[in-house]
Amino acid sequence: MTLGNISTFSGHLHPLIVHLPIGFILLAAIFNILSYKKKYESLKPAVSVTLFIGFISAILACLFGYILSLSGDYEKDILLRHKLSGITLAIISGILCYISTEKVMREVRIPKKLFSVLLLGVIALMSYSGHEGASLTHGNDYLSVHTLMQQVRNKPASVQTAMIFEDVVAPILQNKCAQCHQGSKLKGNFSVENLQTLLKGGKSGPAIVPGKLAESELYKRVTLDPGHSDYMPADGKPPLSKNEIQIIKWWITKAGAVEGKTLAQLKDVDSIQMQVSTYLGFNKTTTGNADGDGGTQAINPDIPMQADTLPMAHLRAKGLMVRLMLKKPVMLDITLPANSGVKMSEIKDDLIPLAKNIVWLNLSGNNFTDSDLHIIRSFVNLEKLRIEKNPITDDVYDDLVSLQHLEAVNLNETKITALTVDNLKKNTGIKRIYTWRTAIN
Amino acid sequence: MSDFHHDAEFRLHTPEFNELNKKLDRRNFLTKTSLGIGALALGSLFGNRLFSSSPKAVSAPVSTGDLEADILRALPHFAPKAKRVVYLFQSGGPSQFETFDYKPVLAKLMGQNLPDSVRKGQRLTGMSANQSALPMVPSYYKFNQHGQNGTWMSELMPFTAAVVDELCIVKSMYSEAINHDPAITFFQTGNQLPGRPSIGSWVSYGLGSDNNNLPTFIVLVSKNGQKDQPLYARLWGNGFLPSKHQGVQFRAGKDPVLFLNNPDGYDGKDRKEMLEYLSKLNQLQNAAYGDPEVDARIAQYEMAYRMQTSVPEVMSTADEPNEIFEMYGPDSRDAGTYAANCLLARKLLEKDVKFIQLYHQGWDQHSNLPSGIATQCKATDQATAALIKDLKQRGLLEDTLVIWGGEFGRTVYSQGKLTANDYGRDHHPRCFTMWMAGAGVKPGITYGETDDFSYNIVKDPVHVHDFQATLLHLMGIDHERLTYKFQGRRFRLTDVEGKVVKDILT
Repeated sequence: MTLGNISTFSGHLHPLIVHLPIGFILLAAIFNILSYKKKYESLKPAVSVTLFIGFISAILACLFGYILSLSGDYEKDILLRHKLSGITLAIISGILCYISTEKVMREVRIPKKLFSVLLLGVIALMSYSGHEGASLTHGNDYLSVHTLMQQVRNKPASVQTAMIFEDVVAPILQNKCAQCHQGSKLKGNFSVENLQTLLKGGKSGPAIVPGKLAESELYKRVTLDPGHSDYMPADGKPPLSKNEIQIIKWWITKAGAVEGKTLAQLKDVDSIQMQVSTYLGFNKTTTGNADGDGGTQAINPDIPMQADTLPMAHLRAKGLMVRLMLKKPVMLDITLPANSGVKMSEIKDDLIPLAKNIVWLNLSGNNFTDSDLHIIRSFVNLEKLRIEKNPITDDVYDDLVSLQHLEAVNLNETKITALTVDNLKKNTGIKRIYTWRTAIN
Repeated sequence: MSDFHHDAEFRLHTPEFNELNKKLDRRNFLTKTSLGIGALALGSLFGNRLFSSSPKAVSAPVSTGDLEADILRALPHFAPKAKRVVYLFQSGGPSQFETFDYKPVLAKLMGQNLPDSVRKGQRLTGMSANQSALPMVPSYYKFNQHGQNGTWMSELMPFTAAVVDELCIVKSMYSEAINHDPAITFFQTGNQLPGRPSIGSWVSYGLGSDNNNLPTFIVLVSKNGQKDQPLYARLWGNGFLPSKHQGVQFRAGKDPVLFLNNPDGYDGKDRKEMLEYLSKLNQLQNAAYGDPEVDARIAQYEMAYRMQTSVPEVMSTADEPNEIFEMYGPDSRDAGTYAANCLLARKLLEKDVKFIQLYHQGWDQHSNLPSGIATQCKATDQATAALIKDLKQRGLLEDTLVIWGGEFGRTVYSQGKLTANDYGRDHHPRCFTMWMAGAGVKPGITYGETDDFSYNIVKDPVHVHDFQATLLHLMGIDHERLTYKFQGRRFRLTDVEGKVVKDILT
């Protein structure tokens, strides 16, 4: 271990140690005041002991604080005030400790009440010093009248009305960067306070260059290898998620790093809508971890979060394969094995309660007619449908064309004609229609 | 004291107690109680009429205390894109030079020694490490551009070239193993040492079956591949997973599963009766010992009985019209060949068999590569492409993932003497080509790049574990969450590695 590490380490101990003198000096004051009461008179000797521990820990806090001040980019004025008040506090608490010992008390004869007032004065000084210290760490607007008055931006009602900078990018930066790059703590002389400071950047040049990812220092740094010394956020602070990075990337490149614009006012939003709505918490139904290996899959929000297991059990008992594609929402893949001999009337009543959960459906090769398949009309969330090898005709398209989520329809080896295909194409969501071994080819 | 003696004596001579003792041995006790608790939990899960979405019930399921049940209950982790997989394993290490990875620069460098700056100290096998020279050799066969994206394909694979718009070709595969067995074992089980479960059995363990009458995981080894490198049943074994998840190998030939037919004069009713009694005996045994392997045995007898009808049905090619046989090529009428296996695979996929793995041996061209690889391509090219086309026209490519690939690639330099018409290539794990097609992968793309010597990867490397993670991902499984506890450790197919190759996913 090098000396540098030791000093960084002990510097980081300051925020820990600093709470000890606060606690002990406060305790000493409480003991002192309590000791006026007869019941607690016995606490009197404890005051000097407690003050002594407070004094020692205050000295330690001063030492570690000094080491920390060497390493960080802190605002000089606040730092000076914090340093001076801290050291004064240590000295005064030392003096008070000395005069509170019984021996000195007897010789100097400081009135008891004066001592109490001095002690309260120390607490006032301590509060001041503590506030200055907090301003150094959290920014000088952390605890201020301003905080009380500040208006919280309301969460946008929808993705479309969300402002890309104000509602999305700025909160990301506030959350992940502001601790070191805003207010009194301006590491690298860079602030994320507003768009102007972002464009201005810091020591390494502009943080954001509209339209130019490669020149945007901020983007470069958050996408470096986490082991790289320039990687941000530094010191193992929580990194930006992939989702957040994608949003910032889109904002720089596609939105030209604008402010004051809603998504509805911008172009090319299709590629980012998903990420923004995930960030804003609109689609809680994404599968897996949005940042993990799962990626963000677009899941139809209309699929119910629950499904009745009783009809599933009935269907299984009749030989159907009811496969759970996802639990949240409950997405079902239902297959009736070919040539099962099962009639639609036997399964209809169990399919209907699951209508909105059925995402893939395979009813191929079961001698179903057009009228058997009228039921499909109610499977509004259906994405893939297999009804091949059934004696169905052009009457079938009417039941399929209104299905908004349908992507693929298998009509192989049926009696349909080009009429069905032409009509199905009116539903632009349907991307693949299989018509092998039909009159069409 | 005498009481104690009496007690011990009693134990020794009381058969009922011995029986009980057996039931309560430590291992059985643990297995049974954990299974019991799991079953209770499952019972309450299904007894509960609703798959409720209340956060309590779904997002944070109450642990049953049974690790396995908890893991399985979390599945699927994502909405799956693929429902079935057919993995066309080209065993022996097909050369990427004569198939997919076009390296025109090599034509000018023929016979020159492989530069050290390219080799970078890469280990060679004992077969070519002592060669005095490592002369580079271009493909003996010509390449042409095919498909909408002008993908370069060797003239050896005209049929595959015709379906190139369906393929997602990954040119930047790499492995760590340099010899056949560790390399295949690595691909199939995620570890170079034998003993781990194969991909197919992990899928069976994780997702179960979609067809009650056929095994979930079926293996077909073609009879017309040159058997230069052996294959072992452990490549489709269940490792430490319950034995019902092992791959079932169908024999190459007219009788894929032996003794399926009842003996003469013994009809199905008799068989059923016999099996029912046998099952009762097994259940008695199971009640005494509680061994999960007995459960597996009962299940397998029942499966075998159902296979007596399902297998002949799926094996029958009577319904296949001539044009289908023509599409798969002349071999397809000869049961057990690669082409016939491709056709059979399609029929099994139609029945929703979840994982089908074909093996075709003979891609290990250390010498006589030009003629050897031509034979291999001729035996496989047409049927492979036909399988893609057939699945596509039937709409099955929607939710079927097709995979083609071997265990490693081959060297740019010739092993043995290089002549104008003849050369060989040694094993090369640093880069090789695989392709996927169908459910969830982008069609008509090429992913990853190798250098001019197809020796090193220069862009988008894909490790064996990355491939496995991607495969599981397409099936709806997070490879990091599908685990099995064995010998005190939770095992995964991808061990502690693997990244889903998201760039190739639709």
